[in-house]
Amino acid sequence: MNRITALRLFAIGLAAPFLCSLGKAADKVVIQYDCIPNYANWGGVTAEYTRETGVRIPPDMKGSSAAMAALEAEKANPQADCAYYSAAIGYQASEKGLHQSYKPKGWEKIPSSLKDPGGLWWTVHTAYIGLIVNKSALKGKPVPQSFADLLKPDYKGMVVYDDPTILGTGFTYVYGINAILKGGPDMNAGFAYLKKLDANILNYAKDTVYNDVLRGEIPIWINADGNGLKMKYVDKGDIEVVIPREGTIAMPLVMAMVKNDPHPDATKPYLDWLLSDTAQKIMAESFFRPVMHVQLSAALQKEFLPESAYAKAVVLPLAEMAANADAVKERWTNEIKH
Amino acid sequence: MTKFKPGLVTAHLLTWLLLIVVIAPLLVVILGAFLNVSFLGLASEQWAARKGDGIFNHGWFAYVFHLYGSNILFSLLLAGLSVVIGAAISLPGAYILATCRWRGLRIFEEVVLLPLSIPGIAMSIGLIEAYITFRGQWWLILCGHILYTVPLMTRVLTNSLRSFDIARLELVAQSLGAGWWHRFVFVVVPNLRHSLIVGSLLVFAVSWGEFNVSYLLNTPLHQTYPAALYATFTANSFQVSSAATTIFLALIIPILFALQWLGGDEFTHVEQSA
Amino acid sequence: MSSGGPRLFLLLPLFAVIAAFLLYPLGFLFRQSIGGTSGFDFESYKALFCDSYARAALIHSLLLSSLVAVSSTLVCLPSAWLFAHNLFPAQRVVRAIFTLPMSFSGIIMGFLTVIMLGRIGVVPQLAQKLFGHDYLSGSAYRLHGLVIAYLYFEIPRATLTLESSFRKFDRRLSLAARSLGANGWQRFSYVLLPLIWLPLLSTFAVTFSASLGSFGVALIVARRFSLLPLEIYQQIIGYGNPRLMSAMAITLVTIAFLVNYSVRLAGDRQQRVI
Repeated sequence: MNRITALRLFAIGLAAPFLCSLGKAADKVVIQYDCIPNYANWGGVTAEYTRETGVRIPPDMKGSSAAMAALEAEKANPQADCAYYSAAIGYQASEKGLHQSYKPKGWEKIPSSLKDPGGLWWTVHTAYIGLIVNKSALKGKPVPQSFADLLKPDYKGMVVYDDPTILGTGFTYVYGINAILKGGPDMNAGFAYLKKLDANILNYAKDTVYNDVLRGEIPIWINADGNGLKMKYVDKGDIEVVIPREGTIAMPLVMAMVKNDPHPDATKPYLDWLLSDTAQKIMAESFFRPVMHVQLSAALQKEFLPESAYAKAVVLPLAEMAANADAVKERWTNEIKH
Repeated sequence: MTKFKPGLVTAHLLTWLLLIVVIAPLLVVILGAFLNVSFLGLASEQWAARKGDGIFNHGWFAYVFHLYGSNILFSLLLAGLSVVIGAAISLPGAYILATCRWRGLRIFEEVVLLPLSIPGIAMSIGLIEAYITFRGQWWLILCGHILYTVPLMTRVLTNSLRSFDIARLELVAQSLGAGWWHRFVFVVVPNLRHSLIVGSLLVFAVSWGEFNVSYLLNTPLHQTYPAALYATFTANSFQVSSAATTIFLALIIPILFALQWLGGDEFTHVEQSA
Repeated sequence: MSSGGPRLFLLLPLFAVIAAFLLYPLGFLFRQSIGGTSGFDFESYKALFCDSYARAALIHSLLLSSLVAVSSTLVCLPSAWLFAHNLFPAQRVVRAIFTLPMSFSGIIMGFLTVIMLGRIGVVPQLAQKLFGHDYLSGSAYRLHGLVIAYLYFEIPRATLTLESSFRKFDRRLSLAARSLGANGWQRFSYVLLPLIWLPLLSTFAVTFSASLGSFGVALIVARRFSLLPLEIYQQIIGYGNPRLMSAMAITLVTIAFLVNYSVRLAGDRQQRVI
């Protein structure tokens, strides 16, 4: 019997401290849905907050739409304290009644187009959709300069964009490409383009592919420009970030506080802190444009793309975008994915 | 027997080939975890390995433990509890299944073993949808693990009980005046020592590697190690993912070798961990 | 033997686990798939079998699983035969290595596939060095990459299932045939094959249902290829149709069950004949 007894003792010995740690883990945390470490440097932002306050914000890999779906499924028993979205999805989630009103410190300084008047969501930073190109992975092919270039057979099996039914950046792109191509409200121009692009697509990413692009596994990623600039300047990758000739899409990224969240007292200071100079600077260091005015060093400013690159940026109407979101996702699933 | 047999040679070659196919990726991953090189591209956590700048380093491991240490503990806890609870439930159950001859029990046994052959994702979805009010509770993940592991344990135990003809042993004990409780404790359980060890190892391995339930039911607070592994595959570089995978392997490989030596591997094919 | 009624209560915990975590959730899914509390119809099943994309996912899943099941059975046949006759050197170690992939979560297999067969995977990089062309580059994202990834975790299942059937095979039959002058091929096709078609079938069933439900591999590798488990996943993490999702899950369970059960029936019948 001694081996079984030993096994049992081993199991109990293992279990006891962990049961205790389970209880302990619950006190000093804030749960943020859509807290992808390599997106907008959330890894760096949350690490700094933990350093300053001891409060832990565990990484969460859900994209905007997945976060909204999870919040809705957990409505009766919310698990998250706050969520981060691309603006249109955050707007939609507010309309579904998933958020509670909170106006963090500094809220009044956010331009009124970038926040909900009732405090249901507010912008923390903005990004633009660009082409993140790993030059060595192109294997000698020229760096594409426009959305039209991406349709060339040269780039077959090289292009990736995020699945818009899961990730907010992908949704912003799928929605916005129509406006860039000067399409009408029927979205046909955009979908016709996406249909053609489909021939060159390697994958519709369900999770961030930051590392795959940096490694050279994926040559071209249509994503937030800031992520590409971080690969180039922070991770020293052989990366070029291209704002396509046709134009780009401005993408505000928003925070919201979840209704009936489990740790409201820990969450409010965190949401305040995200608008503080420290946090906004860390976001800027990963090339997402802070919503608050913070002083950036000249060296850092030089690494951002020049303002002229964004001359043709499209600003999408959030209310309309949120109202059409489900229909666009469904159309994308039916026409493009399958 | 010295005759050259082309069939035999081909079979050997094929087996060697399969062996290489199985081992090669693991070697790549284990090497990737220890080497500070970028033969598969840059890492976004280069600072993690920069200590000393040598070719060999343990920086990736330190980083994994820092990020996912709590997930490792949580998975170990789940696996340990699955073993204990699984054995407590399966042992009496298997005893009855192996000794009672009532026909209805055969059907029940089929049902008990169902989780071994039906797709895990369907069962996970069922658990999520049916117990939506408990979503986010860590013990719901444990329930999922127990659902996978109890059939496995039951199968190991019933096979063993039937193989040594427990009915006859019991009959002997009964003729000596032992009641069924005495027979259970002093005849059945001691005879099952080997199977219990094999079953526990299997259960531990399955629970440690289980992904379906763990991933679909996980919350940021209670995430099992395989779910965290998936997070490293998407969020971290090849080097960090490799280190995380190596930690996973470090636990599973000894268990599988132990099973091989204990002769329990005939049961392993029923696992549904994929 | 007096298997008294009172002992049946030992079965209760097992029964409770199965009822609460298997039968109730599956029943819940089924009720949800036919309309839940609000009505009763088979619209969701109609959608699954008629809607182009849901049906495509179903067909892809069936095709891929059959392809993987057949090829893994064939690929592992020689190794299983060698193992069954103890013809391979250091067999215990080799068999233990063969069992490794089984307890890996599917996601690890997906990760390994990308590392080995991705656009800059180890295999294409080696090929570039050796032959000057990056053979197999990016195959992880195509159908053959997916098949290889699935094969990887079917190797242990197929080998062990086949090996245990070969071990049961009575060698004297083969010796008798040899003494009657049958050559190797004749012995294989007239003696062995009629006896092993059933083990082949059950290997098929084991590997088929494992592939059918596998979700981790597909999550990482199946980039342009819709599969039923992936669709279920997409439904649950995104905004899905719970009825359609339940119908998908129930369909998966039904197919896996039918395949396993019919193989079992065939086995029972053969045993009765012999």
